[in-house]
Amino acid sequence: MARFLRKPDSSEVRLPGAEDAGDYKEGPARTESPARTEPPAGTAAPHGRAKVPGLGRPGREVLLWVSGLPVLVVLILAVLPLLTSSYALFNLMDQILILGVFAMSYDILLGYTGIVSFGHVLFFGTGAYTVAIILKHTGPGLGFLLLAVFGTVLISLVISLVIGYLSLRVKDVYYAMITLAFAELFAIIAEKWRGATNGADGFSFRIPHFLEDPILFYYFILVFAVLTVILVRRFIHSPTGRVLLSIRENEKRAEFLGYNVIRFKLISTLVAGVVAGLAGIAWALQQAFVSTGVMATDKTIDALLITTIGGSGTLYGAFIGSGLTNFASDRLSSLAEHYPLLQRWHLIFGLLYILIVLFFPGGILGFFRGKRAGKGARGYRTGLQKGQR
Amino acid sequence: MSEPIIRTEQLTINFGGQAAVDQVSLDVAAHTFTSIIGPNGAGKTTFFNLLSGELQPSAGKIFFKGQEITRLPAHERTRRGLGRTFQITNVFPHLTVRENVRLAVQARAGVHYRLLRHHRKYRQFAEKAEDLLESVYLGDKMDLPAQALAHGDKRKLELAIILALEAEVLLLDEPTAGMAVEEVPGILELLGQLKAGGEHTILLVEHKLDMVLSLSDTLVVLVNGRLLAAGEPRQIMDNDTVQAAYLGGMPL
Amino acid sequence: MGMATFINLTVNGLSTGMMIFLLASGLSLIFGLMGVLNFAHGSLFMLGGYTGVVVFAHSGSFILALVSAMLVGVSVGWVVERLTVRRVYGNAIAQILITTGVMIVLNELVKAVFGPDIIATPVPPLLAGSWAIGSVILIKYRLFTLAVGLVVAVTVHLLLTKTRLGMVVRAGVENPEMVQALGINIRQVFSLVFAFGAALAALGGVMMAPAVGAVNPDMGLQNQMLAFIVVVIGGMGSFLGSALGSILVGLAGAYTAWFLPEASLAVNVLLMAVVLLLRPNGLFGMGGE
Repeated sequence: MARFLRKPDSSEVRLPGAEDAGDYKEGPARTESPARTEPPAGTAAPHGRAKVPGLGRPGREVLLWVSGLPVLVVLILAVLPLLTSSYALFNLMDQILILGVFAMSYDILLGYTGIVSFGHVLFFGTGAYTVAIILKHTGPGLGFLLLAVFGTVLISLVISLVIGYLSLRVKDVYYAMITLAFAELFAIIAEKWRGATNGADGFSFRIPHFLEDPILFYYFILVFAVLTVILVRRFIHSPTGRVLLSIRENEKRAEFLGYNVIRFKLISTLVAGVVAGLAGIAWALQQAFVSTGVMATDKTIDALLITTIGGSGTLYGAFIGSGLTNFASDRLSSLAEHYPLLQRWHLIFGLLYILIVLFFPGGILGFFRGKRAGKGARGYRTGLQKGQR
Repeated sequence: MSEPIIRTEQLTINFGGQAAVDQVSLDVAAHTFTSIIGPNGAGKTTFFNLLSGELQPSAGKIFFKGQEITRLPAHERTRRGLGRTFQITNVFPHLTVRENVRLAVQARAGVHYRLLRHHRKYRQFAEKAEDLLESVYLGDKMDLPAQALAHGDKRKLELAIILALEAEVLLLDEPTAGMAVEEVPGILELLGQLKAGGEHTILLVEHKLDMVLSLSDTLVVLVNGRLLAAGEPRQIMDNDTVQAAYLGGMPL
Repeated sequence: MGMATFINLTVNGLSTGMMIFLLASGLSLIFGLMGVLNFAHGSLFMLGGYTGVVVFAHSGSFILALVSAMLVGVSVGWVVERLTVRRVYGNAIAQILITTGVMIVLNELVKAVFGPDIIATPVPPLLAGSWAIGSVILIKYRLFTLAVGLVVAVTVHLLLTKTRLGMVVRAGVENPEMVQALGINIRQVFSLVFAFGAALAALGGVMMAPAVGAVNPDMGLQNQMLAFIVVVIGGMGSFLGSALGSILVGLAGAYTAWFLPEASLAVNVLLMAVVLLLRPNGLFGMGGE
């Protein structure tokens, strides 16, 4: 797999993730010239000259869209229904993809902007509740679903602005705590506002008819996941996205480049929030049911685990992590009947997470890209010294 | 004689009862090279921090190109043309050298809020970045992550960054600090070129007196946060008060 | 609301505040001195509670429960600091991430051993019941927690102001480099403060258990959040700030709970939001950038 991922530098094949530089070659592989090191996962790629003479701009555009392992994976996923008809598997895949999108939205904050939020689930939960409440009161029409989507985006924007304004002006550490407090607030509202949410019991609702078929729904989710990945990647590679990276790397320097750091963090929060809200909608549709579980801080922590283990700052790492955790919880649940300790698979992932933070900040994806971080935990944003707070 | 490009009026900042910068009033003329010297702890870096916006003064005012910027946030000052390098090198460690400068070019171009694919405008930013890196003799290291550079090269990178920002005023905080002896002439040459180019106003904080004397049009002496003297280098060096207060305790 | 109720609520609020204070003061000191935001602090609180349950069940002695809880706090805190936190000094993001990981692991361990459900913890017989003074009913256990909280607060204050170690800690909060330059092994001081903070947290946990009547694996995170609100309001690194913040939060929670039980957390979050708007560094915060 490593060999597949690292083509010789004369080709146009690009690696997935933040190292994408558009139509420019990758840096030389580590084994070829030891003097040049590859940048760790989640950084800008070395930008050399374009290496495909003769291919005009449209050709390059196509190559931008179609290359590498991710496409292969998507193709496999697309033909899955032809290979099996296990509804349980589709269920699992739905969850993996939806939570993957959620974790990817978290990666925008953590891996690309360097923000640790403990409140991210509130966007997810808001999306879930929005679609559930609307569909419950109006009926399972496609139009109402679109209304719910629109409503979620709007609400996410407003919430991001409010919370962002209150919490982004302070230090990282405060931000983590403040977002946690807000998330808990939302969770309590969800529990106590029984009129709207039916509290901890939750409620089910009818989803649009065409989504009721598991295979159609699976394709719906697959398309949703692919679209969000493409959009988020676009965002990450945009000038704005690049600025976010610089903020992650060295916030002070970004400020002294003339960037209004707070505003950019806000943009990052907005985008991440909207994507999380959409994931929440997908989740609610998949379950055809909502309860306070969609607002639980556990989900934020899951996102953190998934993103970090899969590889933060890579976008695709979120899906790897999601696949791993969901698959594990699914399989281990059945095994747990015999081995009670396995019920606490979170424990194993927690330990794995600690190891990764300490020794392999690139996560699984980073590891396979050959980025065994010699720097350990210092692979994370180091611009912040104690004196600077 | 036109308006000084930087002017401070009784600029003061207090930390816990002590004035780190004490009523400093200074005029800096455009296109000049001014060096700020003084014993350790004299408030030189703090003064820079006040100018660049990292710190808010307790009293006093700052004017830049005739306009008051005392309450302006740091990023705004940068955008108006005030560039700053730091005592401890401040770059983007895991990004490539090229990307470091490209980001500065992009910042200067004001292309901030485009959420579309960046490679359309990308090319000219990258090209400009490469040109700048060539001019500071880092052309062969563009693909390295910034943290892989030698200390002296990191300083050059920082210089390239603020040049990319097209800063009219360069605040250089001890650019040769921590450098190996062989790296210093490289920086000196670059500074000389900048001065000769005549487009920038340079404020330099340094301890190496020979460097300071060879480059400066004006010398400013800070001791205990106060402006002790300002003027022509030779005059300052011959000044008895300066000799006593500063050179007495100064590692040469 | 009559006077009796008011006094009752006040005592309740203060006593809750005291227990939060035990949690918040450690958090605040650790951050003030080392710049570490310990997301696992609540887990230490929870461990204290569970230790108390186990020890009390086996020995019947509440004192022993308190002491062993603190011992567990110190030891776990020491181990955590040496194994994980120590490696990430100076790196704020990594600290948050690592301590969150520790929190997850500790929580899961407890769930694995004790199960995810609550375990009832009745008030020890000696402290059960209440006194009636006129129409005012004072719950004995609440008064007890108030007393313990005050004793701890005074003790720590004296430690900070009157002992050499305390002075080192306070100086370290202001200026760690200088302290190091004086030849003091700042790392050891860090470990000590971390372990001490952990002990306080554990004490808070074992005291809180009989007050609410049960322990559960989530009690750590829930109370940690209140502690966070306290340090935001009071200011990081300020002992006085966490004391006042705890009182404020405790009282606000108690009074609100009487009118509108659902709203007590909301009120505290609102308080935090207001403080953030007016004084982003808290009422007594350090670090004024």
